Amino acid sequence: MSDITLVLEAINRGESQASEKLLPLVYNELRNLASARMLHESAGHTLQPTALVHEAWLRLAGDGKQNWKGRAYFFAAAAEAMRRILVEHARRKTRLKHGGGQQRLNVEDLQLAETPPDEKILLVEDALEQLERSNPERARVVVMKFFAGMTNKEVADMLDIGERSVDRHWVCAKAWLFQKLQDAQ
Amino acid sequence: MIDTLTERAEDIYYSVLEMKSPDARRSFLDRACGGDAVLRSMVEKLLASQSDAEKFFQEGGVARLPVGQLSQSVADTLGLAENVEAQAREDEAIGKIVGHYKLLQRIGEGGCGIVYMAEQEKPVRRRVALKIIKLGMDTKGVVARFEAERQALALMDHPNIARVLDAGATESGRPFFVMELVRGVKITEYCDQNELDTRQRLRLFILVCQAIQHAHQKGIIHRDIKPSNILVTIIDGQPVPKVIDFGIAKAIEGRLTDNTIFTAYEQFIGTPAYMSPEQAVMSGVDVDTRSDIYSLGVLLYELLAGRPPFETRELMESGIDGLRRTLQEREPQRPSAMVTTMQGSALTLLARSRHADPLKLISLLRGDLDWIVIRALEKDRARRYETANGLAMDVQRFLDNEPVVARPPSRYYRLQKLVRRNKVTFIAGAIVALAMIGGLGMATWFWHQEREERKRAVVAEHMAMAAEQQQARLRMEAEDGEFIAKAAFLISQNRIIEADDLAGKVSATKPSLEAESVLRTLGKWHALNGHWTQAAMRFGLLLHADQMDDSWAITDDLLMAGPILIERGDMQGYEQFRRAAIAHYTGTTDPIFGERTLKISLLSPADAQMMKSLEPLSEVAASSLEKPGSNPVMESWRCISLGIMAYRQGNHPAARTWCQKCLSYSEYNPVRIATAHIIQAMACYRLGEVEKAISELEAGRKPVESEFARGLEEGNGSAGFWYDWLFARILLREAEALIEKSPSVEK
Repeated sequence: MSDITLVLEAINRGESQASEKLLPLVYNELRNLASARMLHESAGHTLQPTALVHEAWLRLAGDGKQNWKGRAYFFAAAAEAMRRILVEHARRKTRLKHGGGQQRLNVEDLQLAETPPDEKILLVEDALEQLERSNPERARVVVMKFFAGMTNKEVADMLDIGERSVDRHWVCAKAWLFQKLQDAQ
Repeated sequence: MIDTLTERAEDIYYSVLEMKSPDARRSFLDRACGGDAVLRSMVEKLLASQSDAEKFFQEGGVARLPVGQLSQSVADTLGLAENVEAQAREDEAIGKIVGHYKLLQRIGEGGCGIVYMAEQEKPVRRRVALKIIKLGMDTKGVVARFEAERQALALMDHPNIARVLDAGATESGRPFFVMELVRGVKITEYCDQNELDTRQRLRLFILVCQAIQHAHQKGIIHRDIKPSNILVTIIDGQPVPKVIDFGIAKAIEGRLTDNTIFTAYEQFIGTPAYMSPEQAVMSGVDVDTRSDIYSLGVLLYELLAGRPPFETRELMESGIDGLRRTLQEREPQRPSAMVTTMQGSALTLLARSRHADPLKLISLLRGDLDWIVIRALEKDRARRYETANGLAMDVQRFLDNEPVVARPPSRYYRLQKLVRRNKVTFIAGAIVALAMIGGLGMATWFWHQEREERKRAVVAEHMAMAAEQQQARLRMEAEDGEFIAKAAFLISQNRIIEADDLAGKVSATKPSLEAESVLRTLGKWHALNGHWTQAAMRFGLLLHADQMDDSWAITDDLLMAGPILIERGDMQGYEQFRRAAIAHYTGTTDPIFGERTLKISLLSPADAQMMKSLEPLSEVAASSLEKPGSNPVMESWRCISLGIMAYRQGNHPAARTWCQKCLSYSEYNPVRIATAHIIQAMACYRLGEVEKAISELEAGRKPVESEFARGLEEGNGSAGFWYDWLFARILLREAEALIEKSPSVEK
């Protein structure tokens, strides 16, 4: 039985400390999976980051012992992990492109909707940090939807709110974040 | 904070989105915003950006990324110093001059480098393959190691070996190698594409072996034999395999001694699937030609069975230690057995690409070919073919229908392998065996040793009486340990009843994790089968053995043991049991221990003194509910504990409130919900609300009855564990006795 499975079971039993142990294990899982893929596929083959998360979950849930609760916790942790991974990736890539310095992104001439994925991630990350202060629950919804591609049902289970509230958060967050980005110009 | 104005704007925005027609939207907006211009403009602004916002946040999150980039980011974020910049720069390398070579075209990319077709100007004009090593390495060391082997490499001259011509450093300081340019496809692909049958494959394989043999004779070990390093080209209409990358693995292996897991992981030279067990250990120095024999064995395996004995993916899944363990300990499946286990369609495909029908293919592999492959794949290199030539000759013998050297392993030999595979089980097994053979078991021998020591000590203290008792105890403990070890072995074999017979002989076990796990398994088994007396006995010993474990496991065991004692009807035993539990946890500040102790101790009414001693534990549990951010599943269970506590205290309104709170949690857990109804039924009855009491009792009874009618199962966190159901049933009986047998209720 994997460590993650054990931790998820502990969470199911209601052990509060257990969820803290989850994140590093999820990182590890994603890393193993990504490395295995790197060996198997050519570097040009594309993959949606969320697909990686789902694949990781399928492997864990393969034994059929996991229920929705474990699933929700796993996805929440994976969303945080993916967020960090993608933001780091984007930082490095853009730093490279802009010649080394920690430059601010130039959003002036960009059609925001056509922003390349890396820069998009950085823009969202910036605005998200603000949102985390003003409306933490909504920020969590964004992390789970945007970085891990979770369904409304999954997010609802995780945050213990209704699916409709999740949808409302996500719909409004998109408009709100987008406006923030526009205002930043 | 979100102000109310924003919130109203968002409400309106969200509702408007659900309306399709512009008219409906407009009139809704008019109505919803009234004359509030500010509100209206906020909503309009949100609506204006809506479609762009949607586009920006494509559903499903972030756009696709190349696998390489994504994997690398995952690795990078985890602190690996990978070199994204260098890779990006390298993509723009075409047309540049590297050393004396001009890069013409990128022709491939492998785990450790990018290969370009390049043009050499001097001393002769020719096309070569130039491989730039991707990973950040100490280039000087790499080039130096290459130089050291250069003489030997130059001596190699074989039609099936691509020559390595040169090595150097790029401007950005990364090592590169120059090789004879081979235009071909990897051997496995070539064979499948051309549907080579097994005999044709074997003939190609023999050529590869001869190439490797040639290199070995010149003192060169390849170290990275795998399909992508063996390219097949067509010369004069004949397929000719060419082994590439000789000398490269050796040159870049310097870093292999670096033994932090991460770098090791990244620095794997060989593809794990093709790596020999001794390479996997990464001692670095001790790899010889027999490591290449192993990799040839893997190649042969893949040519025959369509996949290597252990897939890279499978190996990587278990992390570095798991990988080593697998390569060093797990015996590969015979190729014929591997093919037999394949799914129908995969098998058909495999057979078709080998120009055979599935059954013929299996019978062709079974026997000699199996043994040849297995011999090459021996974990112990001394048991492998001594030379690549030896392997080639055995394959040739097979082709010539002569008896092969490789033979099926003898029985003794197989036993050895079995021992290697199951070390742990075998230690337990060995104890059983020794105990049986020797008459006086191992354990008794240990007892003997310990007794001698004790005796000396005791005699010195002139305590003959005590010594005798001590001896009896030691003997018993030794015997018990022996029973437990045997039982553990039997459980691992799923021989529960035999294991339980043995455990039944245990009288007072010494604390040990093994004893715990044996007794817990057997106790549970009895409980699920309704053998309460036996279950209680096993749990009695288990609680004694638990001293080795931490408090978590102990509370779990206590949660199981309480209901078992009651189901057995041993109220006196339960009384002692709960006093001990309370004494153990009094003073804890952990709300979980507090909560669990309540649950463990309040299965039946308690006297005033006991209720008093539970108060601090109840406070600890309750205080945690006031803190925000705790886990709702845990909280909902905590309400149950606090509800039964309040009920036993006679505080019936509070008991009812806790139950209602418990029922307000949205997490579905049938047993928790049933328990809340049952406690609430009793509280309502005491408060004189008889009708409500009856309906609550009904709500609680149904799920409990149907669960037990279905047959109790071990359960899980969301459906309820078996002991949760026992807990519910015990309270249900109490509630039924209270409510239905009272004169005020007509049945």
